[in-house]
Amino acid sequence: MSALTLTLKSAPRQRVDLSPLSAAPELTPAEVAALQVWAGKRRYRIDELFEIEGEDTRNLVLRGDCRKFDYVGRDARDLSLTVAGSVGAYAGMGMRSGTLHVQGDADIFAACELRGGLVRIDGSAGDFVGAALPGDKRGMRGGIVLVKGDVGARCGDQLRRGIVLVEGDAGDWCGSRLIAGTVAVMGRVGKHPGYGLRRGTLLLWQRPESIPPTYGDCGVHTLGFLPLWFAGLRRLDSRFADPANAFDRVHRYGGDLAAVGRGEILIRAG
Amino acid sequence: MLIKLKGGTVYDPAHGIDGQVRDLYVQDGRIVEPPPGARVDREYDLSGKIVMAGAIDMHTHIGGGKVNIARVMLPEDHRADPQYHTERLRSGCGHAAPSTWTTGYRYAEMGFTTAFEPAVLPVNARQAHMEMGDIPILDKGGYAMLGSDDFLLRMLRDGADQKAVNDYVAWTLNATQCIGIKVVNPGGISAFKFNQRALDLDERHEYYGVTPRQILKTLATAVHELGVPHPLHVHGCNLGVPGNVETTLKTITGIEGLPLHLTHIQFHSYGTEGDFKFSSGAARIAEAVNANPNVTVDVGQVLFGQTVTASGDNMRQHANAGHAHPKKWVCMDIECDAGCGVVPFKYRDRNFVNALQWAIGLEIFLLVDDPWRVFLTTDHPNGAPFTSYPHLIRLLMDRTFRNEQLSRLHPEAQKMTTLASIEREYSLYEIAIMTRAGAARLVGLEDRGHLGPGAAADITVYTPDDDVERMFAKPTYVFKDGELVVKDGEIVHVTWGTTHTVKPDYDRAIERSLTDYFDRYLTMKLDNFIISDEEIAEDGRGSVTVHPCGGRG
Repeated sequence: MSALTLTLKSAPRQRVDLSPLSAAPELTPAEVAALQVWAGKRRYRIDELFEIEGEDTRNLVLRGDCRKFDYVGRDARDLSLTVAGSVGAYAGMGMRSGTLHVQGDADIFAACELRGGLVRIDGSAGDFVGAALPGDKRGMRGGIVLVKGDVGARCGDQLRRGIVLVEGDAGDWCGSRLIAGTVAVMGRVGKHPGYGLRRGTLLLWQRPESIPPTYGDCGVHTLGFLPLWFAGLRRLDSRFADPANAFDRVHRYGGDLAAVGRGEILIRAG
Repeated sequence: MLIKLKGGTVYDPAHGIDGQVRDLYVQDGRIVEPPPGARVDREYDLSGKIVMAGAIDMHTHIGGGKVNIARVMLPEDHRADPQYHTERLRSGCGHAAPSTWTTGYRYAEMGFTTAFEPAVLPVNARQAHMEMGDIPILDKGGYAMLGSDDFLLRMLRDGADQKAVNDYVAWTLNATQCIGIKVVNPGGISAFKFNQRALDLDERHEYYGVTPRQILKTLATAVHELGVPHPLHVHGCNLGVPGNVETTLKTITGIEGLPLHLTHIQFHSYGTEGDFKFSSGAARIAEAVNANPNVTVDVGQVLFGQTVTASGDNMRQHANAGHAHPKKWVCMDIECDAGCGVVPFKYRDRNFVNALQWAIGLEIFLLVDDPWRVFLTTDHPNGAPFTSYPHLIRLLMDRTFRNEQLSRLHPEAQKMTTLASIEREYSLYEIAIMTRAGAARLVGLEDRGHLGPGAAADITVYTPDDDVERMFAKPTYVFKDGELVVKDGEIVHVTWGTTHTVKPDYDRAIERSLTDYFDRYLTMKLDNFIISDEEIAEDGRGSVTVHPCGGRG
């Protein structure tokens, strides 16, 4: 069976909430076509917005300029969704399992409150990757987010479990209020990394401009778990899977002592 | 236009009608005697249907500062429960703290036509009325909150005479467009700001030297002497504290026969027996209520699930903040004259305390003999959102269902309650008393809550169902002031209700001392504080209905 391909007819003027599409695995192609989505104050059928081809509703492909489409893959289970281009805000929000592959950029709150599965963004992502929604107390709770480009500010804010991998640079407040879990950044990070971090790990390839004063310098260590952790990423199509980029020697900073203080920033050493 | 409601089975306790087949006639928004020879314009065949007056919720937090704080603090409550707009209805959202429009729709869809906000802070009264002004279909009203305000506490400290307090209370009712007076943790909200963390009935306020007993007595006397129909509405001391049953019993006896309404009494009926030092005081409370005809209560039933507790009682909310779920809460001062606390909470049936709270509420419902003196509330949203009323009614009317629910609770809690042995089941007539006739009488609405000629045509029609929860959740018809607003549980027409108030007389001399006080201490001038009728009516939807006070001074 070929993937169900949705090709955008013309870019809508209002933002569109595409979350109903996450029900696709339980529906027939005709039912997917009949799903109703909100755009501003109007409701549209999916087939009013997209040309639909193919029949496998477990594999969805979105084509066209989807930057105004929000909540793509929200709360999805066992859905494989590919966006051949850029996507709007809240992509992969609350996803339970399956994959979301964005071949362009993602807007703010990508993979926020993710629970499982893999969200892969080939371009860059906006602020609050893997974070909690405003007002909520827990961000991402499981799964893996891989961003090949850069991410904005507050990456992994209140992250509870799971891994955020950033091949490019991260903005300010990276790993802020992180509860547990891991945020790994290969590029540079902005100001205030690990602000209010409670437990969990911020793993950095490059030393930030400054380490927050509420972190204690624990010296340089060789950590046995790091090779195991890298080995766990081998199957990803990513620079994180390349053994050349792995290491086990790190400079460890414990903190944030202004919060619970049982977390750490690990910076690649030597 | 003359409407005939033909052949329904009518439950109208105000007139002693218990399930008799009757015709009702409605003209110009009122129920009328059958006009001889007049032509009926519209007839509804209600044979086999149950007809009651529109239901009245006499204690529900639907407007004002703390509800808005709850809305702001709980975006997840709104995200999880969106209501999309339709041709007829506006969009809205919210489960525990719904938006104003949604509040009106959901109440009406359950056959409710009137609701009272029980904690209108005088300084925030305008905000409360503006919010309630956006609640469609329902009639509404508020109880003005006194008892921790600096002006009254100064009066009591300085030994002001009862007459002066009466004038201040009457002035407050007039200025805030309210229908009753509420007191929350008397003196305690103020004492909290002087670093007291508890204030029992006879404990002195550290700064003013006044006790809660004094405050209650003075205010209950004022309300009584002014002839305000609704007795002093009391949220007592020590809410939620194990052992507070003693305080509540002392409050009942201490009021010395004055009319008193004890609200969400479930939260004030806890003993300290058993392994967990937490037990039911329901039997003792019910006995005291049965023995004191001056006392009325509403229950504040707890039902399981996520909700939010919003109260003026900053002292108790601060003490309970550690139980917040999700972990966030607000306790704040309001205009240096009151306070509030908003703590989201999840009641769990597998939790011993929560399970016993559930049982205590039901025990009170079932052990208080007189349905005219016990009222159906969940203290929305504190015990549960108002949308769970049909479920609560089923718990009261269906013993098998009740015991089946009970059997799922925390086993230790089951051992601590006599609920399983209580055989009483509420009848439709008794439900009609507690949600209609009794509530209207308690608040002082002479033309609501009954179906006699002259009453406002707020009428709810149900189709009998073995599952009364389903029956009460989806009325077949709801008429508001004679207009059909709900059909088969769905809104078909949106109308606007009135705001019920009382305006007792008072000596204008009180305004002189108030003007000085406002100029010296408060954030606004006296003239800006007073809410005029025009402010409520100026949008063309609202109106003010004044109910008579029989002065006893």
